[in-house]
Amino acid sequence: MASEILMFAAILWVVGAVLALTGMSIASRIALALGAVAGALAAIIGLPGASQAVALPGRILGEIVTFRIDPQGLWLMGFGLVPAGFACALSSPSPHGQRGWLFGAALSLLGALGVFGLQNGAALLIAWETMSLGGAIMILSDDLGRARGRTVLFMLALLEVGAVALTLAVALLGWQASSLLFPAFEAGTVAMPHAMQIGVGILLLVGFGAKLGLLPFYEWFPGAYGAGSGASGAIMSGVVLNAAFFALSRALMNWIPTAADSAFPALAVIVIVVGTFSAILTILYAFQQDDWRRLLSFSSAENASIAVVALGSAMLFHSYALDDLAGLAWTVALLHLAGHALAKGTLFLAADGLRKASGSYHIAYHGAGSHRLFGVGVLIAAMSLAAMPPTAGFVSEWFVFQTVFQGFHLPYLGGRLVLALTGAGLALTAAVAFATFVKVVGLGVLSRDPVRPAPITTSYSATVGVLGLAVLALAVGMPVWLDGLSGAATMQFGAAFASQMHDGVLLVPLSAKFAFISPSLLIIVMPLLALIPITLILASKRYALRRTAVWYGGLAPDPARASTTTLSFSNAMRTFYSFVYRPTADTERDADAGGYFVKKLEFEHDVAPIFGPLLFQPALRLVQESASKLRLLQSGHLNFYLSLIGLLLVLVLGLTLL
Amino acid sequence: MIGTRIRHLSPGDLRASAEALTGMGGRMQFAYAWTPLGGAPEVRYVSAIPDQNEFDMWIVSGHRELPSLAPILPLIGWYEREMMDLQGLTFTGHPEPYPLIQCVDDAPPVNGNGLNGATSTNGRPHLPDVDAADVQHLPFGPIRADVLESAEFTFLYVGEHIIHYHPRLFFKHRGMETCFEGEDVRHGVIIAERVSAVGSVAHSLAYCEAVECAAACKVPARAKALRVLLAELERLYNHLHYLGHLCHTTTLKVGEAQGKLLEERAKQLNARLTGSRFLRGLLTPGGFRRDLDPGKWLGDALEKLREDYVAYADRLENSESHLDRLITTGLLPERVAFDQGATGPIERASGLDRDLRRDHPYAAYAGLPLSVPILKDGDAYARERVRMAEIEASFVLCQRILLLLEPGPVRVECSPAPSTAGLGWAEGPRGSTFYAVHIGADGRLARVKIKSPSFSNWRAFPLTVHDSNMMDYAINEASFGLTMAGCDR
Amino acid sequence: MALWTLFGLASGKATTAWPRGHGNDGQEGVLGMPRHNPDACREGCEECASICPTHAIERREHGLAIDYGRCVVCQLCTEVCPTGAMEPSSDWAFGVRDREDLIWPEPAARLDRSSAPERTAFRRSLHIRHVDAGSCNGCESELQALNNPFYNLHRLGIFFTASPRFADLLLVTGPVTSAMHDPLKAAYEAMAEPRWVMAVGTCAVSGGISGGNYACGNGLEGVLPVDVYLPGCPPNPAAIMEALLMFLDRMPQRVRRGLIDG
Repeated sequence: MASEILMFAAILWVVGAVLALTGMSIASRIALALGAVAGALAAIIGLPGASQAVALPGRILGEIVTFRIDPQGLWLMGFGLVPAGFACALSSPSPHGQRGWLFGAALSLLGALGVFGLQNGAALLIAWETMSLGGAIMILSDDLGRARGRTVLFMLALLEVGAVALTLAVALLGWQASSLLFPAFEAGTVAMPHAMQIGVGILLLVGFGAKLGLLPFYEWFPGAYGAGSGASGAIMSGVVLNAAFFALSRALMNWIPTAADSAFPALAVIVIVVGTFSAILTILYAFQQDDWRRLLSFSSAENASIAVVALGSAMLFHSYALDDLAGLAWTVALLHLAGHALAKGTLFLAADGLRKASGSYHIAYHGAGSHRLFGVGVLIAAMSLAAMPPTAGFVSEWFVFQTVFQGFHLPYLGGRLVLALTGAGLALTAAVAFATFVKVVGLGVLSRDPVRPAPITTSYSATVGVLGLAVLALAVGMPVWLDGLSGAATMQFGAAFASQMHDGVLLVPLSAKFAFISPSLLIIVMPLLALIPITLILASKRYALRRTAVWYGGLAPDPARASTTTLSFSNAMRTFYSFVYRPTADTERDADAGGYFVKKLEFEHDVAPIFGPLLFQPALRLVQESASKLRLLQSGHLNFYLSLIGLLLVLVLGLTLL
Repeated sequence: MIGTRIRHLSPGDLRASAEALTGMGGRMQFAYAWTPLGGAPEVRYVSAIPDQNEFDMWIVSGHRELPSLAPILPLIGWYEREMMDLQGLTFTGHPEPYPLIQCVDDAPPVNGNGLNGATSTNGRPHLPDVDAADVQHLPFGPIRADVLESAEFTFLYVGEHIIHYHPRLFFKHRGMETCFEGEDVRHGVIIAERVSAVGSVAHSLAYCEAVECAAACKVPARAKALRVLLAELERLYNHLHYLGHLCHTTTLKVGEAQGKLLEERAKQLNARLTGSRFLRGLLTPGGFRRDLDPGKWLGDALEKLREDYVAYADRLENSESHLDRLITTGLLPERVAFDQGATGPIERASGLDRDLRRDHPYAAYAGLPLSVPILKDGDAYARERVRMAEIEASFVLCQRILLLLEPGPVRVECSPAPSTAGLGWAEGPRGSTFYAVHIGADGRLARVKIKSPSFSNWRAFPLTVHDSNMMDYAINEASFGLTMAGCDR
Repeated sequence: MALWTLFGLASGKATTAWPRGHGNDGQEGVLGMPRHNPDACREGCEECASICPTHAIERREHGLAIDYGRCVVCQLCTEVCPTGAMEPSSDWAFGVRDREDLIWPEPAARLDRSSAPERTAFRRSLHIRHVDAGSCNGCESELQALNNPFYNLHRLGIFFTASPRFADLLLVTGPVTSAMHDPLKAAYEAMAEPRWVMAVGTCAVSGGISGGNYACGNGLEGVLPVDVYLPGCPPNPAAIMEALLMFLDRMPQRVRRGLIDG
């Protein structure tokens, strides 16, 4: 049943793509959104099992292409498609380029579906490239930022680095297994030498990590997202990101066999370390952004990195045969990305709503707090991303910490140490994430202006509100939702660990002896806390209420100008972590008469990316320099070419003679 | 007019004269306008020429529209804006052609000339057009924390770094200059004493000198000597307060307490000597309203105060936490100090060797050994050290006066003839104070112009705040020792 | 490094015991309001009334009328008085609750009295927000002196606060300039009730030297309801302390009907 619905969704998306190209935007939006609804429905129906395998017509490299989505794929796709559906329905706020955007979105969705379901290495690569291309088309059509062409090229360049690594990895795996079918990968790689396993693992990490935003690849995120719309962001940080994580998780858990007991689990440690550093760096940069999309994009990379840390922990536990803990860690990663997709989609679409209202994606005072539903939606989503109870982000982040705290079960000091340090790194990440979302909500939304409320349209208000409440619903219903993952855990580790993660309505890391929380109970208890202020209000009723303006030294400044700006909020961290940020600030004054009468002030500031100048620029220079060296080959002298041919002939002869 | 060289100029000559003044290293002191009864407005510019005992006075009469000199002499900017606001004159080509005294949102403006057509790009013309969304406007005041005078400061800042700073003063504009008009010269001194309480002596002294200049009367020697005594006592309590307040900003709590205790002791000496903690109620045109009997107790009390002060100053000089906050804070380069008209300890800490007491002696200063401390650094520490040196010099001057004081009359009759004018000045604790007095045809005051030191120093101060940081702001402001009352009048 | 703490401890207590016991109020020699001696007043003499710069003295049919709320303590009247009917004195403790109590012999017309809220809860401690509505800085200088070690106002439980939100008493100085009028009203608006207002200095009480000109009002008259008046130019720190303690009912009001301790 699920498979049929998925096929139906794919057809809807193809139809949507065609409609987009013919210019029927409304119909295309409806088709894409319905497709997303169908996909989510398929996930609900399919879970906790996998979807039925369907053999697709045609063969690639002489092998059949089957389509089947594993339970964890269904889980990730379902949660990714919810915001994607809303994004498709609302479409890009860009005044032009609707057609292109819808086409790109359709390609992305189809590509993501392929990545989730295709069981063939070559087909996976095609789906992967389709997904990347769809993203590029969306951003190019949005045309909402500076130098979009350049940033999209940068994104594609980094994604292609990943794609090359991926192709290489698939080729190696296929060579080892003599087949490009995934079941063959699982069986065929057992004989692979340990070093090669690690090498393939790293190639896979690079390949999928380019899209997840692991270091150093997260650097395409701000530029690309910053040139696109929130709707593009909702798709790219939702279903696309989830697809990439799914692919990475499957590859690392299933294709690379567990190392022998004696060997140090190098690959797992590499994954954990890369994930931790990516999380720290990306959230530090997220905190410094003043654009909704750029900030959220860094935050997406951070959340993907946290999921990757959980995945690495699963690998680590698995390599020491601690399958219950591995199952916990692995499930936690899935939980985290599910909540993230919903919350991030909410905020990206909120950014679009604000952009429609105020004309800019800048995080600033707009009087948006006057829209209650909008404000509540954004608040819950931001609380989730900041890991505040009782939201989904809180649950998953709590589980992540509970997982790494279980490091003491590991038999060796190295592994324990790695997980302990990871815990410290994630604590820093969580703290900065909290500050980041305080900034987003406090400066961008929490500004009630009875005189000039931001004109946010009802469609965005409703979308943001519904998605935000979905984030809450995910947390509150967590005991129920966890059962949806039991099939996935069973398939992976042979036992339904997901159902051991809750004890009634209590959420526990496998056993309630260690720790427990319960958002379901919290949601009941928290309103009880409101009784205190309610009592106070009732008790003070006998005094007459007199309202006065905020005290501002006797004058009433314009709140839009006097409110805290993103930079003044984050400048202290920028100074403190200047060794990471290497900030620049420059003031230009336009003044008369010896510079004493300043007429105009221009202030520019920025933080320097780490890998741009240290890795990508040198790489670019290397390519350019070697290209100019190799240009000698194109000298145009006939004799030079003839001598080259002669040299080649001698070499060939020499080889045959040997 | 005694003490001045008068030149009559036409509006066309003004710019050339200003260029010539700059060329010879002279500096504009102040400018004002007045309208003789039934006559045309007259704008007067008073400037100091190096090595010339008298002040140059340019008079431009009969024109309501003059070229602005602010592009050449930036310090004149506020004087011109003040004349635009209060006398309704027009200065063409002014770089800041909007009201100074009147707040922009005040309606109706005093002289009905409104905003002079200046359009505001950001709600307030006073602030530069800022092309950066991330710069926060932090309005502060006019009612600020602590017991402080009223003024509104706008910081354009990003967290800690101040990009631009704009003080909006004149919330306390009381129209003090018009209070003099039509008053008897004897009443004038009561008003002058109340322009700025902590400069009561400097203001009343400059006023008395101006009236005496108009009346051409000779003040008896004892009165001259007592005037120096009062002026130096005023410097003492002001500078002691300054040190205590500076310690407050560098959070040196005991240092603050000790500085303010020394100030209190100085004020109590003032009261015991004169009946007023602010040394009010003694000066009058022609000398003193009553004689003072310093007696031996004053010398002893001053010596005791000096000993405690020296120990205090030594301790301050050895407090690294205090010095660290002062050194390199609020740098005022010599060039800026000169161009903006910084005066008093501020200019002397930025390397400008000027002191009215020495360069244009008045009262009994000509015959006294006066040391004028000069420092080149221009930072908050230099401003503190200049004031410390001035405290020592004041103690010496006071003791010298007490030693030399001879009995004799303290007052002569002083009533200026109708339709005369006079210029008087005094180097107050904060710098140069000028009074220009015009006597009307009825023998009463027709126009009194007050130039207070803070009016000049407030122009220089913001230029030390741009591109500094919030943590240093309070220290920097305290190191300037500014008052609003004198500036706003 | 300077051992400030040690120095502070070694210096001992600088604070006066006043107003308790026989402490020194620190105001030796300070001249206060001129004291009127009606018996010495000569019929038909108008010297003091005509010299007074703020018209605090008025010639009436039977002697003088003096409004101490307008006196700027310039002492001119004591200088011109030929008979000693206006004498210099050290009467500076002029804090009163009713404006009428500053007028001798009695006000020409009944003045409006603000009905002050009950103060029972505010006997011991007081939080003050000061507003400079255009003073000459004299009152500020003396208010700042209150926190120096000699007067040490904190010991009496009286504090200055940063925001009017936490203040019980609005202490206003200056004649209320036109630019400060609105901020002053805003500060009063921002205070939580019950709230009181104190006018410190002759300017705040009646406008002083510049009151009523183009830039100034006549002090708090018609701007805010005043609960304590303290004329003086400026009132010295001891006078301010007495007035505050008088407001808190911790000291008696010494001036009634223009007469001190009378």
